[in-house]
Amino acid sequence: MGITLGPVKTHNVQVGDVTRELPIVEVAPGVSVALFNMLGDTEVTEAAGKALARLLPADIDVLVTPEVKALSLAHVISRESGKPYIVIRKTQKPYMVDPVAREVVSITTGIPQLLVLDGFDVPKVKGRRVAIVDDVVSSGGTLHSLRQIIEEVGGEVCCILAVFTEGEEREEVTALGHLPLFSAD
Amino acid sequence: MTQTKQDVTVNIGGVTRTLASARAGSMGRVPLVEFIGDSEFTKAVAEEMVVMIPEGTEVLLTVVTNALPLAHELSHLSGLPYECVRKKRRPYMQDPIIQDAPSMTLGVAETFWLDSPHAARLKGKKVAIVQDVISSGGTAQTLARIVERSGGTVSGYLAAFRQGESALALPFKYLEKLPARI
Repeated sequence: MGITLGPVKTHNVQVGDVTRELPIVEVAPGVSVALFNMLGDTEVTEAAGKALARLLPADIDVLVTPEVKALSLAHVISRESGKPYIVIRKTQKPYMVDPVAREVVSITTGIPQLLVLDGFDVPKVKGRRVAIVDDVVSSGGTLHSLRQIIEEVGGEVCCILAVFTEGEEREEVTALGHLPLFSAD
Repeated sequence: MTQTKQDVTVNIGGVTRTLASARAGSMGRVPLVEFIGDSEFTKAVAEEMVVMIPEGTEVLLTVVTNALPLAHELSHLSGLPYECVRKKRRPYMQDPIIQDAPSMTLGVAETFWLDSPHAARLKGKKVAIVQDVISSGGTAQTLARIVERSGGTVSGYLAAFRQGESALALPFKYLEKLPARI
């Protein structure tokens, strides 16, 4: 579909009992996405977190999520399931012990960014069955880097939970819905 | 490593945690409160804090990252929406409010960002500022300035913990005190 000047275009989504009109925003020349931002949307975060907690396999040991937008989602899935979660940071902090880092190009930022696992969290992942939690899985770049970091420290990625897949559907991702990409023409 | 270390233990709403600590320059070690990764502690703290939200508050405001799950839980328990200030510019931001802040931890200048659609949700509203730990109050003052620039008014300041004894310029409510260093 074409994006033209005028009223802001939106894309309707449903998360559990909650519906939202997502603004369609151009993130690169000719490429627009339906912007899904859970930060500050407690209702959507609770609905998605509770739904995803029900889909979480019982044999998962730990949830791993990248900061920052999916953080509250991981908190809710953790609270509902009783599973711990750890957060992969986007900057290396001075207090981190032997951090493990990977660079990734994100579709929503377009620039390379760092993913860093604090060495302090490594024992919580090593030898454990891991579920990756993210808000939107799009190009899969973040997912690929997360998987690399988790496997490098001896964790096994058994499950990927997301609120939405975007662009192409991915059978390895357990998602509540799908977002198309929008191209200007 | 032959340092002597005194553990700091907190008990909030029946949940007990021994706090990790981090070396902070020449200050020695400071206790760390971790809400990230600990949904049980986060929920217990939020349940104690929810009564501290000033009457008439319409929106909660916090800043990434550690206080984010706490703000979510407070929002869930109180039914009030929250907004979250970022510390990085995101490409999709449209005309964000940009406010320089004094850094609390590393002595490095930080910049706070709140995108215009989020700032619009503070306009004309009574806003309570939510933090994990209050130390000098610099972060709170920066958030208060963002509220003001968004056209809102601050209804109060809430933190889970107060660290150290430095004079607070702002009327903060908090659950417990923590030592400035260990």
